[in-house]
Amino acid sequence: MKKTLRSYLKVLPVLLMCALAQPAWAQSVVVTGTVISSEDGQPLPTVTVREKNTNNGMTTDMNGRYRLTVSGKDAVLVFSFVGFVTQEVVVGNQTTINITLNPNVSELGEVVVIGYGSQEQKDLTSSISTVKTDEINKTPTAQAMQALQGKVPGLQIVSSGAPGAAPTVRVRGIGSLEGNAAPLYVVDGMFFESIDFLNPADIETISVLKDASASAIYGVRASNGVILIETKSGSYNKQAEVVYDGYYGVQVAQNVLKLANAQQFTEYALATGSSADAAFIDNAFQRFGRSRINPNVPNVNTDWYGQVLETAAPIQNHSLTVSGGSDNTRYSLGVNYFQQDGLLKSTRNEYERLNLRSKIDFDVNENLRVGGNINISNGTQYVAENSVWFKTYFAVPILPVYDDLNTAATPVRLSNAQTLGYRGSQNPMYDLLYNDNRNKIGKFLANFYAEADLIPDRLTFRTAYNYSYSNINSRNVNFEYSDGVTDFQSSIRRSHATSFNQIWDNYLTYKQNIGLHNITAVAGYSFRSESTEGLFARGTELDPSPSRIQEELWYISLADVIDQGGVGDFGAKTYGSSYFTRLAYNYDDRYLLYGTYRRDGTNIFQQKWGNFFTIGAGWVLSEENFFNLSGVDFLKIRGGWGQLGNAGVTPSVGAPTVEQRFLAIDGVRVPGNVVIPTYDYVDRWETTEELNIGVSSRMFNERLSVEADYFQRDTKDAAVTIILPLIRENVRRSAAGIRNSGIEVAMNWSDELANGISYRVGGNFATLNNEVLTLGGPQYLDGGQAEFRQRSIVGQPLQAFFGYETDGIFQNQNEINNSGYTAEFINDSGIEPGDFRYKDQNGDGVIDDQDRVVLGSFLPTLTYGFNLAVSYKNFDFSADFQGQSGHSILNRKRGEIIFTTDTNIDAELATNLWTGEGTSNKYPSAAGLRKGWNQSMSDYFVEDGSYFRIQNVRLAYNIRNKTVLGTDIPDARITFTAERPLTVFNYNGFNPEVANGIDRQTYPIPAVYTLGLNIKF
Amino acid sequence: MKALNIVKKLTALSLAMVLATGCDDKLNDPLEQRVLVEDTDYTKTENMAQLITGAYELLYALQWETFPLLSVRGDDVNAAGDQFPLTETDFFRYDRSFWMYNSTWLNFYDDIIKFHATMEEIEKYKEFAANPATADQYIAEIRVMRAFELFQLARLWGNILLPTSSQTDGLYTTPVSSFEEVMTHISEEMDAAIPLLPNVRPNQRTDIKGGITRYTALAVKAMANLELKNYQAVADATGAIISSNAFELYPDFYELFKIPGKLSNESLLEFQYSDFGQSSGEAEYYLHAFFGPNNWTPAVAGSSGGWGFWEPTMKYIKFMLDRNETVRLETSVLFTREGIQRIQEDPNYANLPAFVSNTTRDGDVIGRTDNQPNPRAIFSSGKHYLPSNQLTPGRTRYGENKNFLVIRYAEILLMHAEALVNGATSTVMSADDAVNEVRNRAGLPDISGVTLNEVLNEKFAEFGMEWGIRFYDLARYERTSELTHDGRTYTPAARFIPYPLAQLDLLTQLNGN
Repeated sequence: MKKTLRSYLKVLPVLLMCALAQPAWAQSVVVTGTVISSEDGQPLPTVTVREKNTNNGMTTDMNGRYRLTVSGKDAVLVFSFVGFVTQEVVVGNQTTINITLNPNVSELGEVVVIGYGSQEQKDLTSSISTVKTDEINKTPTAQAMQALQGKVPGLQIVSSGAPGAAPTVRVRGIGSLEGNAAPLYVVDGMFFESIDFLNPADIETISVLKDASASAIYGVRASNGVILIETKSGSYNKQAEVVYDGYYGVQVAQNVLKLANAQQFTEYALATGSSADAAFIDNAFQRFGRSRINPNVPNVNTDWYGQVLETAAPIQNHSLTVSGGSDNTRYSLGVNYFQQDGLLKSTRNEYERLNLRSKIDFDVNENLRVGGNINISNGTQYVAENSVWFKTYFAVPILPVYDDLNTAATPVRLSNAQTLGYRGSQNPMYDLLYNDNRNKIGKFLANFYAEADLIPDRLTFRTAYNYSYSNINSRNVNFEYSDGVTDFQSSIRRSHATSFNQIWDNYLTYKQNIGLHNITAVAGYSFRSESTEGLFARGTELDPSPSRIQEELWYISLADVIDQGGVGDFGAKTYGSSYFTRLAYNYDDRYLLYGTYRRDGTNIFQQKWGNFFTIGAGWVLSEENFFNLSGVDFLKIRGGWGQLGNAGVTPSVGAPTVEQRFLAIDGVRVPGNVVIPTYDYVDRWETTEELNIGVSSRMFNERLSVEADYFQRDTKDAAVTIILPLIRENVRRSAAGIRNSGIEVAMNWSDELANGISYRVGGNFATLNNEVLTLGGPQYLDGGQAEFRQRSIVGQPLQAFFGYETDGIFQNQNEINNSGYTAEFINDSGIEPGDFRYKDQNGDGVIDDQDRVVLGSFLPTLTYGFNLAVSYKNFDFSADFQGQSGHSILNRKRGEIIFTTDTNIDAELATNLWTGEGTSNKYPSAAGLRKGWNQSMSDYFVEDGSYFRIQNVRLAYNIRNKTVLGTDIPDARITFTAERPLTVFNYNGFNPEVANGIDRQTYPIPAVYTLGLNIKF
Repeated sequence: MKALNIVKKLTALSLAMVLATGCDDKLNDPLEQRVLVEDTDYTKTENMAQLITGAYELLYALQWETFPLLSVRGDDVNAAGDQFPLTETDFFRYDRSFWMYNSTWLNFYDDIIKFHATMEEIEKYKEFAANPATADQYIAEIRVMRAFELFQLARLWGNILLPTSSQTDGLYTTPVSSFEEVMTHISEEMDAAIPLLPNVRPNQRTDIKGGITRYTALAVKAMANLELKNYQAVADATGAIISSNAFELYPDFYELFKIPGKLSNESLLEFQYSDFGQSSGEAEYYLHAFFGPNNWTPAVAGSSGGWGFWEPTMKYIKFMLDRNETVRLETSVLFTREGIQRIQEDPNYANLPAFVSNTTRDGDVIGRTDNQPNPRAIFSSGKHYLPSNQLTPGRTRYGENKNFLVIRYAEILLMHAEALVNGATSTVMSADDAVNEVRNRAGLPDISGVTLNEVLNEKFAEFGMEWGIRFYDLARYERTSELTHDGRTYTPAARFIPYPLAQLDLLTQLNGN
């Protein structure tokens, strides 16, 4: 048996070679020469030099030289090298052929990373967008995904301003209601839910696999799109290059919301007619005196945002990279330090990260390559209490920051609104000064691979083991303090979670060209395990009492009391097992076929195994003889269909559970088991089917490129939350069908003018139509908070805001009487002038639940971006713009008045309230704001979230080949960047980027101005 | 040589594949940290004890808005502060969009569905129990809890749904039961539960001290029948409690509502909370801050005040002063300086007894002391007040470690009297004796030949700020003029509040009820 196999294997390559080799009967000729690059005139090593249509070839040496014996004068030499345009030369009578290769300005020949392999751009049948390192590093951020905002059509990035927080990323809308619908990130083969730990400068490319035929090779994890990240490698035969890259800059809070000042607030509070509110103002007069400018206003006018916001918060990043390689080894080593301060004063609010990495590839022999990659990331994040944003918005302006009369407040005499009669202390400084929340995040990512050519140039086997170990160590400390009314004891909570994930991939790649038939086939197996374990504990009354200057004493062991209810542990284990195969075929680069199949298994669901197929096809019209469109260099029509799974939904037990709680019986803490009779039933992953049709074209000598796609993505068995009657627990069922469809277009024009100016103009847009197809029976499902209803209705967007449509404000009693409402209804509902007029949608004279309509969706229907770049001599300039529209934001801050009235309101509202006939047709009266009638969910709370932003403006100056005092100085580049300098929107909030559309407390997105330096030693 | 290499590689490859695919059986591993009901070993019947305590946890975990919504509409109390839904409800202006309505509805019904689930589980243990009577007793206790919560729901909404199991699917077609049907159902449920319950006072129970006993069930039965005006049933149920001689009025009315009064011999149902005697850390508590004065100078500095949302009415205070009430007024009302001045603005009340002071007998000073107005409430509820010197040292939360009294023996006595003056008969105790027992504790002289009015007044005096007892008394007798006070107008149509919109969306049968 063994012998047979061996002899077969011995013969196989010979047979294959025979089939392809041409008989060599002509007079042979020896050709020599040097290959250089047109870029810098330097010799190019490892260029493939091959006699066309034969197996005869070699690669150039370190000096770019080659020597090849060819079959005769008719032979054609083909020079090919990755990143350069392939050239063909007829040998003729020449014996020395020197070649200058031009860099491949065309992306068509570029190699695109796809799952478990790569493909040339021109052979793709699916929609994949690739963003490269230069583009990524234009954005001064610790979050690589942030750099993609506005650059990839169909990719929605919702920024987060908090230090160390990752943006929300959506590929082609929301196909799932769970897990933020986050895409799968694959970093050099390892799966991640977020790449917040990666240094953007370590990334070579980010490929967004948008459609199913591209991402289906990742099966059950792929339904929200897949984002492939390749980290930087060294280059063979290249001298070590040391690069410093860094920037320093400041972040400035943008579009800071104006809240009512003391005068506006006082007028509003008195206009409500509430005696309590009048009494608060009166107390403020007594305590703080009257303003000399306006004696009807207390002598305090606190701008709370001004008090808590830093004017400019620093951000900095420094990387040092060494890369290079020899004949058989290439390496890249790097260290990176990133530091970002938060926008809040008086508290620790920052992020700091140190990354170390190394990537080494080694050719053991011509048929065996091994390599390894290690990435260590150590981050420390200090998180400010999120409630600060909430309190800052609501704190009344007639309260000072400090109050010397509040003598019992320790250690600092902060003011307390309770001294004026307000319900809470209101002052956000308590939340800034008296706590400290730290997360230490360590990530260790390693992968090792071996790749063996079982049949040289034909069959390759690759085994790769990916390993990721991470731990998150959280410590939350609350200091002992008094707000002058209540004493608060100190406490400390720590939690520690470690995760260990591994993936082992084994696969075979087979490539063969038979005449004009080109085949690539892949088959393999992948095993994945993910586990997390953690512990948490809490203690109170630390002794000594914790303070910022004694951080070394912040330990639970020093707490007088260990909180019984605050101690516990947790864990999770999931396994995945997958068999996959892919076939890519093309005939003469004209007809393209593509297919994948993955069989995926997981322990998360009762349904253990699933099969995921995809097929794709492309037709390169421009390769056809009949094709004769002038100006069009390349035209391809492509289409694909595929199935994907989403195992990102939280699995369900599918049975009633018992929850242990505690209660006091006669002063003793005893456990009690509460039976939860309702339960989730999510026994399968969500399945997505997607159809993608696209066109790729290059025109006018490849100066214009156009990529256009239409997609329709249907999710089946999507887990939805169902509100059950009479019980608080909502349940999840695999019941919904959701469709996302849209068009994506990207166009780029680049050219060089005669006077040395080169420029590039690009634009892209994507539309998105999100629609509920089915809810497994019911016509709608309610979601959101009961007071701010969101309803998913068949035929409408998911979780659309749902309520009354306002039609102005009733200006006088006459308008109320002629409103069309019945007299009885007017009488019962107590409508007054200054109240909203709601549209009586069904015309029955009564405003009730039948009159509620869809008010908007939090998903944008249009996202767009455009950019401009100009280079002249040593100057580079670029500007990026992006925006989105068609989505709504629930102004939940204005809605808070339903629950608490004794707070400040925003200036726009305060100054435009209805105060009498003709004063406002938009906002109700001050008193009306507090009436139930005006607090019903309506389009008053749901605002247009559209925005347009100047995303990035960058000016760079390059220093090349300069000498100073006769010495060469290293090449360098100085950059000035303005990130998000301007955002334009109408929404009455801080920030129009709200991931789920509900703006209750959102960290502002700052503008960032940096000065960068890049030096190549 | 090369072929050998290939074989080596292939062997390694196949080995790798076999090893890797061997991992497939991991897919059958269960999920971590999930306790499934279906995995329960029902032969371990001792675990039933945790199910009954779980039911008590549900009963005691009363969300703060529930009590005020139940109790705000009487002429004994005002909604102060900025809770718009509450102040509107106090003025009989209802809106089905008020968040409190939906929340209160769910607070009760959520418990009820889980009570059913718990009873269904206990039934499964019963088969294996050495003493099946224990299982029966537990189920009977939960039936009392369920009945008590249904009783509160019906008092608020009138016609409601009666769930019969933990399965919510059937509720979409469950017909709406009328107020009378609900009260009758409660009464019948109590009849079924009574024989299965321990025949002791709640604080005599050794397994769950302060838990439900036969007398709690009798009390709930009496309350339901009172709503039905089924006076003889009220007299019989209250008579059974009185004749047990198990109960007595706690002698010190002031301390009854404080730490010394925890689980007293007067208590038939009491929600229990505790800080477990520790200065910090774990604590079970009711959110008493709702009731507390929003300005005070506590005897123990740093003790937290409250929100000032629960204000005894001037009507109640004057009513009490007119009756020469002492300890009951002192216990029921916390006075601010501003409040006292307002009382004295009426020349008939210029001279007030010494206990009407902004300093409580425990030394806490209520309200502002700087002659400035008290923005929310000029009075606060004394029954929901725990003196700062009764807080466990280190604890600062208002009313922490205080229990919440629900049904007390005084209510049994006065319901007994109310039934008798309405024509019921009793051999246990006369209406006069029942009323006088309550009066004597309050330091008031005996009266004789009591009338309905006198019984209702006695209840007003005794139960001000407690569980809306006053409102439901007046609503039951349609005493619209007494509920029409201080700028609000009550009509019998305002007896029940509208169903929450979120529930109407789910349960269409509620429309038109």
